[in-house]
Amino acid sequence: MYGTTAMQQKKIKNLQLIIFCAPALIVYIIFKLYPAGSGFFYALTNWNGLNKTYDIVGFSNFVEILSDRYFWNSILFTMKYVIVFVLVANVVALTLAVAIESRPKARGFFRTIFYMPNMISMVIGGYMWMFIFTKALYYLADNHGFKWLDHSWIGDPNYSFIAIIIVSTWGTAGYLMIIYIAALQGVPDNVKEAAVVDGASPWQCFWRITFPLIRHALTICIFWTLNAGFQVFDVIYTLTGGGPGRATQSVAIHIYEEAFRGNIRYGYATAKSTVLFVIVLIVTAIQLKITSRKEQEW
Amino acid sequence: MKKFASIILAFIVLLTMAACAPSTPKETKDPGKATDPAPVKTDPVKTDAEPRKAELSIMMSFPQFMDQWETYAKQFEEKMLKEENIEVTVHLEMPSSDQYESVLQARLTGDDAPDLYTLHCNNLGTYNKAGNLYDLSDQPLASLIYDNVKETVTIDGKLLAVPIESQAWGVLYNKAIFAELNLSPPDTLSDLNNICTVLKENGYTPFMLAFQEQWVPQLMTALTLGDIVSGKLNDWLERMYKDEGSYEEVREIFDVIDLIIENGTDRAMEQGSEAGAADFAMGKAAMFVQGTWASNTIMTTNPDMELGVFALPINEDPNCTRVNLSTSTTLAVHPSSSEMDLALKFANYVLDEKDSSGLFQSCSFNPLATCHDYEAYSWVADASDYVARGRAYQDLVLPSSVTDEQGRLLQEYYVKTVTVDDIITRLDEAFKAANALN
Repeated sequence: MYGTTAMQQKKIKNLQLIIFCAPALIVYIIFKLYPAGSGFFYALTNWNGLNKTYDIVGFSNFVEILSDRYFWNSILFTMKYVIVFVLVANVVALTLAVAIESRPKARGFFRTIFYMPNMISMVIGGYMWMFIFTKALYYLADNHGFKWLDHSWIGDPNYSFIAIIIVSTWGTAGYLMIIYIAALQGVPDNVKEAAVVDGASPWQCFWRITFPLIRHALTICIFWTLNAGFQVFDVIYTLTGGGPGRATQSVAIHIYEEAFRGNIRYGYATAKSTVLFVIVLIVTAIQLKITSRKEQEW
Repeated sequence: MKKFASIILAFIVLLTMAACAPSTPKETKDPGKATDPAPVKTDPVKTDAEPRKAELSIMMSFPQFMDQWETYAKQFEEKMLKEENIEVTVHLEMPSSDQYESVLQARLTGDDAPDLYTLHCNNLGTYNKAGNLYDLSDQPLASLIYDNVKETVTIDGKLLAVPIESQAWGVLYNKAIFAELNLSPPDTLSDLNNICTVLKENGYTPFMLAFQEQWVPQLMTALTLGDIVSGKLNDWLERMYKDEGSYEEVREIFDVIDLIIENGTDRAMEQGSEAGAADFAMGKAAMFVQGTWASNTIMTTNPDMELGVFALPINEDPNCTRVNLSTSTTLAVHPSSSEMDLALKFANYVLDEKDSSGLFQSCSFNPLATCHDYEAYSWVADASDYVARGRAYQDLVLPSSVTDEQGRLLQEYYVKTVTVDDIITRLDEAFKAANALN
């Protein structure tokens, strides 16, 4: 009798869970899972995105990808971007979080200021920065003697990479900062005080006490930036358009151009996005494995 | 307490009565004033039939002319109501030009095709193959379009779209600067070289470079390839489509491309096409490799600008120095339109005897049909003069992927990350890849 009641309660709990998750789950299935699944199907076709009909071509799209140097160049560029972006964005966000948390006053003000870029679309942010890089910096260089700013920020592939990292970090750091602040607030004061009493310097206190205790936030932030980095599109699209030529073409832009421009090869483009999905899956799985191992439960 | 309770009760009853009362007009007529005329029923006049309601969805790729097309759509709505007794509502969509194609493709594949939509003339073949174009050959508009323009929108004898932007174009130049320095439009590459020298000696920058968007540097290949194919290598394009040609044969186009880049404004990669046109209008350079479609921006920026057009020379043979005759934007009717009759009426209205001239003139489009009776602009007259002298060619139709690749490679050539040899190899590869798919 008791067993049946417990079972019923468990069923009710599961049902409640499903009901509460249902709205998000339905949206996720319709807008994420279904397109991803159908994307894999189209990867096996030669559909051009326009014709009513198409042929199943098996794995020939995937075979063709192996020798597509523009695709692998875009993968290499994306990898380079991901490494620098993950590093810079997290360092900047953590520095901001620590700096704000260590302030006795006006924390709310600084939190708001640094979070603000996150509240506007990166497309708008990209166009704003485009104006800064193509007009404002030259104005400063030409009229106020800031000659070190006089570079081709959009045209020179090296400088345009820096420009892309600056804008991406500007748009992301605020969001990561909030996660780090929440984690920092969870570090008990008595542990830090004990370390100070034992003679630990501020750096030792941060590196030996605080940092290990916020590793869970680091896991989340690295996971998020890795994902965002691999899918980078809007910043590059608005800033350089992937140019000059293909010099700053991320894999997402490359796939977009394959699907909607030039030869309009929708099937081939979805095959490329499937490959990207597998790469992201492998990289994030490795990252989660490594960082989770190092996390310390409090 | 009882008093308080009865007041509350009375208040609730009052509220309930007010809420349940039938909704009557706030002003009630005093029954004593019976002299007022009885209210007249405003039923529609039964002598005329009720207008049929309809909706027409149109997608266009030039947001810069939103006002002009909205006005034209309103005129169409009025015309339909008056002449056909149809109360049509035109929904005009104008996504930004760089996203237009992807938005359009998404709608076409999602069975949500607009009734009419603009597309680039070079894409007519692909869209026709996909069954997205209605044959307009038997429509009244077909007899109005000039023959040389009609050719550009006709495939297999079918008129597939209404041409909107059609132009003879080459290099835009500032006539005032040329007149001041006694310069005349060049016929050969030496002439152009000499013009650049004279301009620089007099403190002018010869060419405006605005290479931020890939399609702008690509205009240099559009002009130079057209010149060389029409003047010398007539079968080059045909052979390219058969994988029997190479860009190596047209290597000399880089002579003039080098000359333009060497004599151009700085920071070309930081300059967009619109900003470039505005700077050109303000006299920052004397010449601009750009189509006459930029004239609207140029003349808006500087209404006093004396704008001219000359053909771009590529070598010492004046026979190769020609203007490009092309149609860029066209308006197509989707065959699955639920309002086909109205869609065709709108397509015909674009070339309406009475109203079309006003629209085309307000958008600075060139005349392309017999219904266009307005005076051509000076730059159109310049280009037309080349056409009259037989020094013009129909725009070369290259695969879209090759055109895009040309733009990308010329950007890279400008920032010196590729050489001419690299460009030739990669364009040959791109052409072969496009051939393999078609």
